[in-house]
Amino acid sequence: MSRRWRRLQARVRHQLTGAMSLRLRLMLGAASLAVLFMLALLPALQGAFSLSFEKVIEQRLAADASTLISAAQIEDGQLQMPERLPDEEFDLPDAQLLGFIYDRRGELVWHSRSAADERIDYRPRYEGRTSEFLRTRDAAGVEYFVYDVELQLAGSRANAFSFVTMQPTSEYLSLFGEFRRQLYVWLGSGLLVLLVLLWLGLTWGFRTLKRVSAELDQVEAGQRDRLSDDHPHELLRLTRSLNRLLDSERRQREQYRNSLGDLAHSLKTPLSVLQGVGETLAAQARSREQAQVMQAQIERMSQQIGYQLQRASLGKSGLVRHRVQLRPLLSSLCSTLDKVYRDKHVEVEMQLPEHCLVPMEQGALMELLGNLLENAYRLCLGQIRISARNSEGDLLLGIEDDGPGVPVDQRARIIRRGERLDGQHPGQGIGLAVVKDILDSYGGELSLGESALGGAIFQIRLRAD
Amino acid sequence: MKVLVVEDEALLRHHLQTRLGESGHIVDAVPNAEEALYQTHEFNHDLAVIDLGLPGISGLDLIRQLRSHGKTFPILILTARGNWQDKVEGLAAGADDYVVKPFQFEELEARLNALLRRSSGFTQATIEAGPLLLDLNRKQATTNGEPLALTAYEYRILEYLMRHQQQVVAKDRLMEQLYSGDEERDPNVIEVLVGRLRRKLEAQCAMKPIETVRGLGYLFTERCR
Repeated sequence: MSRRWRRLQARVRHQLTGAMSLRLRLMLGAASLAVLFMLALLPALQGAFSLSFEKVIEQRLAADASTLISAAQIEDGQLQMPERLPDEEFDLPDAQLLGFIYDRRGELVWHSRSAADERIDYRPRYEGRTSEFLRTRDAAGVEYFVYDVELQLAGSRANAFSFVTMQPTSEYLSLFGEFRRQLYVWLGSGLLVLLVLLWLGLTWGFRTLKRVSAELDQVEAGQRDRLSDDHPHELLRLTRSLNRLLDSERRQREQYRNSLGDLAHSLKTPLSVLQGVGETLAAQARSREQAQVMQAQIERMSQQIGYQLQRASLGKSGLVRHRVQLRPLLSSLCSTLDKVYRDKHVEVEMQLPEHCLVPMEQGALMELLGNLLENAYRLCLGQIRISARNSEGDLLLGIEDDGPGVPVDQRARIIRRGERLDGQHPGQGIGLAVVKDILDSYGGELSLGESALGGAIFQIRLRAD
Repeated sequence: MKVLVVEDEALLRHHLQTRLGESGHIVDAVPNAEEALYQTHEFNHDLAVIDLGLPGISGLDLIRQLRSHGKTFPILILTARGNWQDKVEGLAAGADDYVVKPFQFEELEARLNALLRRSSGFTQATIEAGPLLLDLNRKQATTNGEPLALTAYEYRILEYLMRHQQQVVAKDRLMEQLYSGDEERDPNVIEVLVGRLRRKLEAQCAMKPIETVRGLGYLFTERCR
């Protein structure tokens, strides 16, 4: 349990630090920016809304206060209010609008009918200021907006009154709550839409990168030589220099291979001549021994040349990871060997998955399989089996025959690189030495065992990456 | 047998010509593909040895051209690089076998003989027709186990006729078995040689396997195995 947890932790850490995809990074960045922006926007919007709403309420209460003021009259130094006010909201007992009139000492002198059963502890302080807008609470804790206007009626200081109109804040609060809810819904869905659009936009933008990587896949699989020029200009610089690099590497490899080929031709043809001369000399009794020494040395030289040249030309390419379709390559090798060993009527059985790709360069894979297959063709009685399968991410290739096989105590020696290069059997050691060299440069392994067919099985393990 | 050797290195070419000649073949040796095309156009070869690394037209292209001209004789390629790409391409182009340079002549000869046997439909190293037995490796004929004394020319005529048993073989064809491209020819020599062959065969085992087809050539009538 704890191990699984630790593994999960490690994976998350890995995701967060190193290998997170560019798109995920951009998404996370943009999403947190959007959330931060909205968090900042929220109080501002709310503040603006509540400000304008309170303004509206203040204006309404002021208008109601004006109604009270215009209804008030001074008779004999006493405030007189009519039975009925023009604004009937004051007159309904259950109405929300309350009206009060206080004298300059703060004593209540009149209240509207709607305020008959309200107990609001409000004491206006008469300061000669014209008007005030504030909030207060009644005994039951209900909150009210209060509009308080101070006025001297009939131009006399004795008739200074505070006209107060009130309205509970509950309506405002429920409205504000509704507004806030709506705001959250809209901002939330806005954020969601934004993220979706962002994801689509990034996907669209990253499609070009995807295409580059698809083209690289094709280059590696040998389906194309270079990347196309059909990319956005931000990437063109990159793809063009990659193309130049690919071209120059290919040219260099070709040049290298050609000059190695020329070198092979120019060294081995004279050796063939020497070989011929040696054979002629060997036919004469008095120079036979010297001729045999000479021929052995020629043989050795030619083997070394062949071996070193092949080795030099079959290194692993650094720039792209090549992948070769196994089946067509095997088919061409087998049809070549079928022709050479035509009289043997060899039956070749292939057990390959469809589209089996081998992570090697074409030439190297051809040398590798050619040498092993020729061995099998030479030694078999009439049956060869070639198999390929994936195992734990590795590719396992097997080449087996129904020939005599290799005794257990000799297997390790045969596998060891270059063992027979200077040995007794010229021409047989190079093949396996080259095979070993190629596998070494690709990090592969070679093993030799006993086949179910009765002969030897050469097994190759290649890491799939 | 008439063998074409295409090799640009003069010494090696000479060596091949000499050794193949010693083995009883008629050898046309040329240094490049152009001359090879001319030779194959003019004469009928039984076999060709072609170096892949020719100057000008490459060995591969030469093989392709020969095959596209309908030449069906077996071709053995000589390759200096000895890599599988070359071998696969060479055999795909139409060659039948390869030998990697440098080679021992015995190996080359064994491969050539195998190709010749295969091309005439005989997979053994001997051809048998009744009491007559031809050992293709030792270039010797025997009747009922007794050696038949033949000159090199007589042997070549007999081997060629037996390889092409029950086919009419033109005199010109037989002539090419005796002379390489640039040698002076005597048109009567075939008749003389065939006459001597007939007499020797009849004297030793009372066989009359060679018939004259008037105006066309000769026919080996006995079935060969």
